[in-house]
Formats: sequence, structure tokens, C-alpha cells
Amino acid sequence: MAPLDAATIAKLAGVKLRARAVMEGVLSGLHKSPHQGQSVEFAEHKEYAPGDELRHLDWKAYGKFDRFYIKRYEHETDLRATLVVDASGSMGFSSGALSKLEVATSLAGALSYLLVRQQDAAGLSVLAGETFQDVPPRAAAGHLSTLLGALERLEPKGGTNLRAAADHLSEGLPRRALVVVLSDLFDETPDALKRILRLRARKHDVAVFHILDPAELEFPFDDPTLFLSMEDERRLEVNAREIRESYLEELGAFLEETRALCAESDVDYQLVRTDQPLDAVLLEFLARRQGRRR
Amino acid sequence: MTFVHPWMLLGTVLGLLPLLVHLFDRRRPRPQPFAAIAFVLRSHRRTTSRLRLKRLLLYTLRTLLLLAVPVALARPQLVRPGAAPAHAAGPAATALVVDRSLAMRFRDGETLFERARDEAREALASLLPDEPVTLVPCGPDAEPPPPPGFDRGRVRQALDALQPSYGGADLARCLGLGARALEDSPLPGKRLVLVSAFTQVALRLEAPPPRVKVGDKLVQPEVVLRDVARGRVLKNHFLLEVKAEPSPQTGPRMVQVTFTARNVPAGEAGEVAASLELSGRPVAKAFLALGPGGTVQKTLVARAEAGGAVTGAVVLPEDGLAEDDRRAFVVQVPRELRVLVVDGAPSPVRYRDEAFFFEAALAAPGSPVHPTLRDAEAAWREQLREYDVVALLNVAAPSAEVAGRLKAYVEGGGGLLVSMGDQVEAEAWNQRLGALLPRPLRLVKSAGATGETAVRPARLGEVAFDHPLFQPFTGKAREGLLSARFSRYMLVEAGPRSGDAAEVLAAYDDGAPALLLARRGKGRVLLLTSSVDRDWADFAIRTSFLPLIQRSATFLAGGLDERERIEGRIGESLVLHPENGVRVVEVRSPSGGAAPLRPESDGGLRVGPFVEPGIYRPLDAAGAPAMSPFAVVLDPAQSDLTRVKAEALAAYFGEEAVRGPAGTAEATVPVWTWLLVAAVLFFFLEGMLLRTT
Repeated sequence: MAPLDAATIAKLAGVKLRARAVMEGVLSGLHKSPHQGQSVEFAEHKEYAPGDELRHLDWKAYGKFDRFYIKRYEHETDLRATLVVDASGSMGFSSGALSKLEVATSLAGALSYLLVRQQDAAGLSVLAGETFQDVPPRAAAGHLSTLLGALERLEPKGGTNLRAAADHLSEGLPRRALVVVLSDLFDETPDALKRILRLRARKHDVAVFHILDPAELEFPFDDPTLFLSMEDERRLEVNAREIRESYLEELGAFLEETRALCAESDVDYQLVRTDQPLDAVLLEFLARRQGRRR
Repeated sequence: MTFVHPWMLLGTVLGLLPLLVHLFDRRRPRPQPFAAIAFVLRSHRRTTSRLRLKRLLLYTLRTLLLLAVPVALARPQLVRPGAAPAHAAGPAATALVVDRSLAMRFRDGETLFERARDEAREALASLLPDEPVTLVPCGPDAEPPPPPGFDRGRVRQALDALQPSYGGADLARCLGLGARALEDSPLPGKRLVLVSAFTQVALRLEAPPPRVKVGDKLVQPEVVLRDVARGRVLKNHFLLEVKAEPSPQTGPRMVQVTFTARNVPAGEAGEVAASLELSGRPVAKAFLALGPGGTVQKTLVARAEAGGAVTGAVVLPEDGLAEDDRRAFVVQVPRELRVLVVDGAPSPVRYRDEAFFFEAALAAPGSPVHPTLRDAEAAWREQLREYDVVALLNVAAPSAEVAGRLKAYVEGGGGLLVSMGDQVEAEAWNQRLGALLPRPLRLVKSAGATGETAVRPARLGEVAFDHPLFQPFTGKAREGLLSARFSRYMLVEAGPRSGDAAEVLAAYDDGAPALLLARRGKGRVLLLTSSVDRDWADFAIRTSFLPLIQRSATFLAGGLDERERIEGRIGESLVLHPENGVRVVEVRSPSGGAAPLRPESDGGLRVGPFVEPGIYRPLDAAGAPAMSPFAVVLDPAQSDLTRVKAEALAAYFGEEAVRGPAGTAEATVPVWTWLLVAAVLFFFLEGMLLRTT
């Protein structure tokens, strides 16, 4: 199966379809991937204790060692994941088939599928300005539709406040969890990203999908342009060609700083272009996580 | 700074284009919602000052580029400042010598003279307050100037009133006049400022350089040269000579004009069209290939509208010096004369007819005379006023009535020629026409009849060859006249009558008058005391007969004296010789003024010196033409605008003078090439700036 490009995904209406398509692409990719190892795969042995399921007894090990060992699988790691989706106004920007928010919701939906499929608890936290919309993590199969429904209803609005989001998440995550942040990280508040990354210091596993539009990365504008902010009233009339080089320098520095901060904080960072095949994005993400686990 | 093509400077308005484009041609920006506006704002803040500077540089470069091109095309030239004139210790008395020669009329945008006046004003303004100054206008009439004074206003007024002349200038003499004027100043410093185009014809380098006498010593004054030609070569084509004369062989009233045009100095004039004007109308055209320094001669033939004095001009296309591209002339076109020949002794045998030779002479091919032959009876029925001349050939004394008509005819301006013969009775003639005749007739004398010698006919002994009538008789031609033999002739009363001005134009070798002239009223009377057939003389078969008879008829009609070619030159004068009874009271110049007149001891009238070229018209008291007009022409030498070389000037005046405020050859520095280089550089820099973002 060929990777699902953004244009193809854009033709699918709704987060559910997109997420499913992305997930199927991921599963198909996993089958072929050299980094195989779903959560249903064997992870480790554990000496049998009363109460353990007998069906997981490793009879071969009993034959060799004359002891009862129980096979443990990855899905039994009891993962709680919270998908943090940035739904600020800036996420509504699109120069191609998909807006950044559509990419974020598609990725979040696909991840929800994967998590629920392997019986991990998946929750959702949506940032939209100063307000938060939370769906608590659950592993029940019926929870998936709740998640997808919440994602489906998202509209870009308000500003980006990562600092508030970090505080909110710190309070709402009492135990170790996987925090997947899907955002363009356009928050000019000093140390806003650092606050998010501090979640890692609190033993949370943090992954950042930095979603950016190709136009934001390449700045293809040429003529005199009136740039309008998508989150507030700021505007600027400028000859785009004249500031292109400077813009790219600024953006490059921002990306470099973000990447460095994530690396320092042992946070999984992935830059996602909205024109990129999303299944490939997820596959890369999963493979990297697999690598980290080993 | 000067400009060769100043009108090209109009193109500098293009320099406003970048500003106008900036102000009026701003494109509407495209609105673009953009998520990463923070980076755009930050980039803009970072680059604003740089972009503003870049934009300013771009505007400046574009404006400079658009200014540089038209200014370069205007061919600017920098006047090199040169070394400041070496001032003598303390103030110096100054003489401003301003060239007024014809060359200063050369037009290069403005005339060199206008530029000279500006230069002189500038020199005047640059003088120190305690430096006295005097002005030496240097034209053909240069006079010693007043001593240097401090009245700058007077000098400025004199400068304003100065006009260029049509004549030459002797700069060496003017410098000498200035130097002598400086001697009147007690100041030890002496300065001569010469404002000129420095043509070779104006500055005689063989003359000694100017010196000022201070005490007993001759000292070299400080000389400041101001070259109004800015070191340029002054190209000029002009008419060197024009010769206009009647051309009866090509047809009636035809005029042949031969002119010579020259191109100096070695400038390329190419093919120029010269035109011939007669009586103010162009009648012919010729094309001249005037090579570098070349001289071309052309001849044009055209028909005049009428006979008499015809004014005309040869015209070349105007160049920098337009004054010498037109040269006026006056040509005497023979008028068609009608002569009533009254035959007093007709004969059926043609050669014995009294008028046979006379009529044949008048009607010769090419002659402007049309004779009408009548016998004595038929002649008096003619209307005399229809004829220019009446010739009475051996006619018996007419009746009193006819005599009255003849008298009225002559006094009204008609010409009368009377020749003798057997029909003429002295007493009757004296009685009837005595008032008309130059002198009363006495009796017929037969030469050789005295018996002293065998039969020896008389010959002409004394002839007024300086009279227009005898002008063709020069050299051997005189023999044809002097060898004529007269066997009989009428004697006339001796000596002039009181109040009469009869002239004896020729006399026989015995002293008896042969040809007499008298003016009666407005007319003239010629009396030939012998006959015009072969009865009394063999003059009729002599070679001199035909021209003398034709000229006599023309003279009597008033046309012969007009054939004298009178032409004056600028700066010179000439002497007019009005006929007896004609009084010239004014000679009107081409501009309508009166030329100076001065009577001469020989009765002539000196006109001039002439100050402007063109046609001059002698007028009588009533304002009517008293004589033929005449042309005054430029001295062609003044049209040679070849300039003195800088080295020669340096050798003559010294290095310091040549390097003065507006020295000669190296005084101007063309800057347009640098401007073009700058324009290319601006263009390159503009491209570089556009490329850098």
C-alpha cells in the first residue's frame, strides 16, 4: 500500500475516516517494517504468581527450567496516553490540501485508534486560547468514538498558550503518561515550550509533533503582501521578497531551538509538514519509539 | 561648466521618474492571513532600517542614472580653473580689451560676443575695489581709451552698449592702446585682460607683445586671456568673392554671377546648397562640394526682371557665422534702349545713306539698342518720349516747333546725339537749337584745305580716355580711335559758355573739339562735329566706330555711367562721382541709417567708412535715387576663423597668461564621458542592489 499523501487524506471527510485511513496505512507499514513489534508481541518473562492467567504460561520455559514463567506482552504495559491538540487560530492556516489543525486531528485520531486497539488508555486535551477541552484517558473500545467525535468538532480559534497548557496538563496527569503534543508551537510567551517539556521531568513520556505548513517553512510569497495575524489584530504590509531571507533565518533559528530543547529534555520531536504522508509520519514516530524502548 | 547641446538638459526631468513611480504607481498589496506572522514581524523589524537604506540607495541610483544620461548627452565641459593670474604686489590698473571683430559674431548657442561681454563683466566684478579699470573696445575703429578710473558703472554701461562689428580687429594694436592707457595710472601693478576668440587674423603675433612704460622702463604687464571660444575649432564656410556682370551673349537681361566659396579651417562642410537671388527673389541654385579647407568656384546665370541697376545676393546655408554666408552685389543690366535715328541725308544707295553705318553699329548682335530709322520729315511725327535717345544725323535745322519739342524732350531726361554733315547750317542750328547744343556752331572746316600740306585729314589728338564713354579704348584699341581720319568738321565756339558745363571729350589734332558733351535739364547732349558716314570722315569704317556709337547711345540714355562697378568694403570708404547737376545728399545704409559723407577736392563724394554690409543707396534731396545703389561687402580675410594655437599664445604672452581663467586649448575638459561611465556604474550598482535581498 502506497503512503497516504495529504491530498488523498484531504479527500476523506471527517476525522474518523482520515484517522482510520492513516491507522490502516500505519498497520500495513508495520507489517513490512523491519522494526516489527506491536504491543501484542512478547516483551519479557515473569515468574508465575497466583492470579496470573494460565494461558500465558510459557510451557517451553517450564520444560527447560522446570519453573513456571508467564509471558508478558507489551499491551500489558498499562499505557495512559494524552493527546494534546493545539486548536488555536494559527492552526487553521493552510496553503495546501490540509490545514495544520486537520493534520493534527488526523494524527491524533490515528494514534487514538492504535492506542485503543492495543487496549491502552487514550485521552484528549484540546488547547484553544485560554480554554481547555479534556477527554480523560480510557482504554475501552467505545472510548474511541468519543475521542474521534471530540476531534471532529474542533475549530481553530484563539491564541496559542502552551504555558497554560503545560500547567493544565501537570495538574491533570497524576501518574506517568504518554503526552503527545500536536501543535505549531507558535507561542511567543517566553519559556512556553520549556514548560511543556518540563512534563518530561515529571516522568511523563512526551512526544511533540511540530506541525507546520510548507508556506511557513518556505515563505514563497513574492509581491507586496499584507500579512494578517490569525490569532489577533496584528497586520503588516511588506514586500515579501525583501524579508524572505530574514524570515527563513528567524524560522530556522526557532526550529533549531525547538529541536535542541526537545533533545535536551529527552522529548521525542518530529517536524510534520502538512503536505507529508501522515502514515509515514506515524510509522517514523512508532519506529523511533520502538528504538528508544530497546 | 558649459554645454555643447544645452537643450538636452530638458531630459533631466526624467530624474523625477523614480519618485513619481514611487508616489503614484504603488501596487495594492495582497492580503494574506498567515500563522507565522510573528516571524514576519520580527524579520521586518530586523530588516527595516536596512531595507530603507537599500530603497533610498535604489532611488538615488535610478535618479542619478536618469540624470546622468541627458546631462552626458548635453556634452558638458568643465572650464578648467587654471592658475589664478599672478597678481602684482598690490592692486593693478586694468585695461579690459574686448574683441569686436567679425569672428565674435560666431554663434555657438549664444554669440561669442555675448559670451565675451559676460566674461568682461566677470573680469570687472573680480577686480579689487582699489583697482582702476578702463575699457578698450577692439574693432576696426579702435581708439585710445580713457585712463583707468574707478567708475565701474560707466565701464559696465560701456560694456552693455558694445556691439560686435562687421570688420576686423587688430588685437595687438588694441593691447598697445590699453597698455598706453595703463601708463596714466600711478599704480605699479598693470594688467591687461584680453577677451577674444583669438583668431589668427585678429592677433598679429609678429607685432611686439604689449609693454607698459613705468618711469623710464618698459615693463611687461600681467596679461589675462579669456578665450570665449573655449578652445574650440570655429568651423566656417563663407563667400570669398562674388562677381556679377551682364551676360548679353546668353540672352537679354541675363546676368552671370561667378562666386567663390571657401571652407575654413579644415572643417568638413560637405555638400552645401548655394542660391542666387536677384531683386530679392531666388532665381538659381547650385550645390557645392566644400571639402576640408576647400575652395569652390561656381557660375550661375539668371535673367533679371528689368534692366538697370539690379541688386542681388549669393546665399550659402547659415553656419556659426551667418554674416559671411550672404554677399550682396549690384549688377548693371543693360536696358533695351530705343533710339530714333533721324536720317538727314537718306540715299537709295545703302552705304551712301547718312545713317547706314550708324544704324548698323546700333543694331549689331548683342547690342541692347533698338534703332528706329526715320527721315527728317517722318521723324517729327514720332512721339519722342517713346525713345531713350534721338540721333540727328546730318539733319537740317528743324522747325521752331520741333526744336521746342526736342528741347523739352532733352530737359525731360532724353538723350540727344547730333552729328554734322552738309545739311547742317550753323546759323539756323544755332538759332533753333542753340540752347541745346554744347557750344554754338560756327563753320565747317575742311582739313588740309589750308594748303600747308597736301590733303591731310585731321585725327583725334586729345581724348578723355578716363570718361566712361572711352573706357573700352585701352591699349591697342586706342589706335582704332586715334587713327580715324576726319576731312571735314564743324568748328564750334571756343571756350565754355558762362554757366554752361559743356565738356570736350575729344578734340582733333588741331585742337578743335570733335566730341562735346552737355547736360541740359535731366538730359544729355552729345555733339559730334563730323559726320557719321564717309562723306566727312572714315571714322564709320574704323573698328572704334561701333563701340563708340553703342556706348554713346547707352551713355545718353543714362546707362553707361551706371556700368561702373562700385563696391565698398567694411571699414573702408569709397568716392562717388555724381554727374554734373546730380546732388547726392544722403547715402542710406542697409539698416536705414545714413553713411558718413564727405566732399572731396575733386568734386567727388567720399562715403564711409562702412560699418555694415549690404546695399547702400545714394539719394538726392527729395529722397529719390540719385545714383545707382552699390554693395558693401565683408573683408573675406575676417571670415577665416583659424585660431591661434595655445603654444603660440604662450610664446607670445607667456605661460601664465595662457593658463589664465579661461585659457585656450586645454581650458575645457569634457566631462560627458565620465558621466556615461558613471551612468553605467549606477546601472550596475542598481542591478547589484536589486539582486541582494
